[in-house]
Amino acid sequence: MTKKSFELTRRGLLTAAGGMAVAGIGAPALIGRAHAATQLTVADPGGPFGPAFRKAFYDPFEKATGNKIVNVAREAEPTAQFKAMVDTKSYTWDVCTLTLSARDILTKQGLLEPIDFSHADVPQLMPEAISSNWMGTDVYSTVFAYRTDRVKNPPTSWTDFFDVQKFPGRRSLRKNPIDSLEQALLADGVPLDKLYPLDIERAFKKLDAIKPHIAVWWTGGAQSTQLLQSGEVDIISGWNARFQAAIDGGTPAKIVWNQGLYSLEGWSIPKGCPRADVARQFVRFCSDAERQAIFTEILAYGPTNLDAYKTIPAARAANLPTSQENLKKMAIANEDWWSANRSAVTERFNSWLLS
Amino acid sequence: MSTLVASQPRRSVLKGRFLRAHPLWLAVPGLAFLLIFFAYPVASLLFLSVTDTETGSWSIASFARIANTDVYLRVLGITFKIAGNTALLSLLIGYPLAYWIAGLPERFRNRMLLFVMIPFWTSYLVKTFAWMIILGRSGVINNLLLGSGVAEPLPLLHNEFGVMVGMVHAMVPLAAMTMLPVMTSIDRRLVSAAQTLGSSPAHAFWLVYFKLSLPGVTAAGLLVFISSLGFFIVPAFLGGRQETMLAQLIITQVSELLNWPFAGALAAMMLVTALFACWIYDRIFGISTISGGAVVESTGRIRLIGLKVLEIVAALASRIAAAARLLFGKKITALFLPIVCWSIIAFLVVPTLLVLPMGFTSSEFLEFPPPGYSMRWFGTYFSSPLWTSATLRSFGVAFATAIVATAIGGFAALALANSRSRWSGLIFAFFLAPMIVPRIVIAVGMFYLFAQIGLVASNTGLVIGHTVLAVPFTLVAISAVLKNYDMRLDQAAATLGASRVRTLVSVTIPMIKGGLIAAFLFAFITSFDELTIAIFVSGGLKTTLPKQMWDDMILQLNPTLAAVSVVVFVLVTTLLLLAERFRRSA
Repeated sequence: MTKKSFELTRRGLLTAAGGMAVAGIGAPALIGRAHAATQLTVADPGGPFGPAFRKAFYDPFEKATGNKIVNVAREAEPTAQFKAMVDTKSYTWDVCTLTLSARDILTKQGLLEPIDFSHADVPQLMPEAISSNWMGTDVYSTVFAYRTDRVKNPPTSWTDFFDVQKFPGRRSLRKNPIDSLEQALLADGVPLDKLYPLDIERAFKKLDAIKPHIAVWWTGGAQSTQLLQSGEVDIISGWNARFQAAIDGGTPAKIVWNQGLYSLEGWSIPKGCPRADVARQFVRFCSDAERQAIFTEILAYGPTNLDAYKTIPAARAANLPTSQENLKKMAIANEDWWSANRSAVTERFNSWLLS
Repeated sequence: MSTLVASQPRRSVLKGRFLRAHPLWLAVPGLAFLLIFFAYPVASLLFLSVTDTETGSWSIASFARIANTDVYLRVLGITFKIAGNTALLSLLIGYPLAYWIAGLPERFRNRMLLFVMIPFWTSYLVKTFAWMIILGRSGVINNLLLGSGVAEPLPLLHNEFGVMVGMVHAMVPLAAMTMLPVMTSIDRRLVSAAQTLGSSPAHAFWLVYFKLSLPGVTAAGLLVFISSLGFFIVPAFLGGRQETMLAQLIITQVSELLNWPFAGALAAMMLVTALFACWIYDRIFGISTISGGAVVESTGRIRLIGLKVLEIVAALASRIAAAARLLFGKKITALFLPIVCWSIIAFLVVPTLLVLPMGFTSSEFLEFPPPGYSMRWFGTYFSSPLWTSATLRSFGVAFATAIVATAIGGFAALALANSRSRWSGLIFAFFLAPMIVPRIVIAVGMFYLFAQIGLVASNTGLVIGHTVLAVPFTLVAISAVLKNYDMRLDQAAATLGASRVRTLVSVTIPMIKGGLIAAFLFAFITSFDELTIAIFVSGGLKTTLPKQMWDDMILQLNPTLAAVSVVVFVLVTTLLLLAERFRRSA
């Protein structure tokens, strides 16, 4: 442990303790720290997130508070487990990362605990990155990437992606209406800030045109890395870090940030969790800019606390969704529209795929 | 259980005698187990499908939604078609293999069986990825073809062909292993007798051997069909836009849209399909033939038609065989069967073998051939407490599951073999039910039950869940050997003064040892490779190996997966060889 990171840890502790005092929950947590260390089970997305979050959040939190963090991998969409956990009061997790859509589904069903701090407490946080029961830790972005060795004429927009004449190459889209409809509308000329509410008819009409040219409909994030890396396809839509992984591994490919749609993942606490106080302390701890900067060393996801860029090297920042340069080319995906329409649109999308 | 059988309370009431002597009592522990841990959770979930979640009252809204659009019926149709084709192809490929293996001397037979078992042991997550690497545009096959001058890569992946390869590859071992016990019990001298009486070899085969092997064929067909209905990984990774199966939609509803009533309704739809297939099967063959029981000789028109068809097939086969002999000569023709079978074995084993060198790759990715070699992924595996503890847990859980499931299945098989009750058919069908109900349905229902009784994230919960899935396999495997077991041996032992327990331990068990070991191994594999229940029940800290692999596969597809496969391959092959040695020496 170097001296510098020890100081960081101390600062993290102070921030966290200050926040708790504001929220009025400091006392029990501090008592908890003095007497019995609490063990928190934290469900992160697994894979590379485990070591990255361990270095950025878990170890420093353990050092700072004396509590213990055990991390496990959660499901891609842990909503079912969450519901069962709260319904039956068997809390296998104390804190869990949720996407915005999962957060909205669970909020509607009243399954989340309040986090007891707000944007005013951490003003450097992106405004979308905090709600009453959830705090965003990382930003991922849906973009497209192409193989530079196979696609000679570089595409720069979704219109190019959908233009199979001018930009030949095998294509892949996600087997899901989310993002695919937006991409079709962007390709059809709808401006990025006027996407929602989505014009479903127009989107499907545009998708009709590209349907015969989609060689692969991918279903899992790791699969999209594999498709690009192995050369199974030449142009593919997907999440930026997935493609970054292939590029970092030596695949000749390039990410197109233009017209990207970003979204966030962050911590929530299941309703009624017996260790909610320590869990809240942990969530608050993760809002720190310098802590967030550390996970970007391993993960190509954007920090939600934009002050983190003060310590992130410029070369790395260029590959992250929330760096100034990339963020201004993108817009946030609208979860409200999707939570209202997802079920019906998914049904229609599935039907469309089969016909 | 055994005390139940052994104790003979002196009650002279007639009913009492019935209670103590009736063989069906042996099936009671298994029945109780399945009622609590299978029927109850599944029924709760199906009940949800006709419930309005807001008000808690009855509602058919979910079913109305299915009826309102054609997408679910179409997916059901696709599921049916893929499962049906898989069953057909698995039989076509599995039959010659099983026939050939059944005809080998016993020593070779068991060695050949290893080749069938090994692909079965490879996690189907890994197998699916192996197929992606083999069939892809820049995959192994296309690289070979392009190297030999073919201009365009063949579309082998992300279409129906890819799905069928993955599904058939996963199911041929199940088909072959179901047919094998029936085939080994056929007396091949009958075929010789037919030939002595003037029949051509083709006629002797089709009208005598094939007809006798039919119970095994139909049972294998049903098992493969029903198991195939619930697939979701293979169509997701190897299929194209048309290959969506019902289990995928159920998972989306449960885990993404959180619409459990609708998931329950879709599950009910799948259940009805499976039950319908069973019903048809029962009408034609009788459900008890699934364990290799005698086919009730149907009389009248159907039988006559069947025989006529066989005769035509035989005549055709006879011509073809004669032509082949003329063309290639007798010696080469005789080699046809071994050549075909070795090709099938190659098809089964190659994906597994391909994964092995990838465990030693120096690359960040799963690619073949590896650009260089290193031990780094083994380092990652062994230095990770998550991976090592998951491996140990999987072995422990699989071992416990195998013991419990073999005991439950064994006693149930014994009960059914000794009983002539009209309830037997029904009880047998109930024991097979966990195969028919999609695992995702069982898993979700079980998660709810376990949460209430504190079994979530416990090893006990995993063992219970896996035992539910394994019992049908153990029952079928043990029933198959009991069909050929001479019950008069038990009676002889009893006449000579042996107690029921003594008879069981010293006579029955040693005689049906082969079936017991097969059952044990089946149950072990079922548990060791089980993912769906592990996803829901293992949660938290206690993850199993397939669950850990799954997490890794979704998030970070790297060669650790291959390194783990290598270790598992070595451990499991050792185990299989030990089991084989034990079986031979005991």
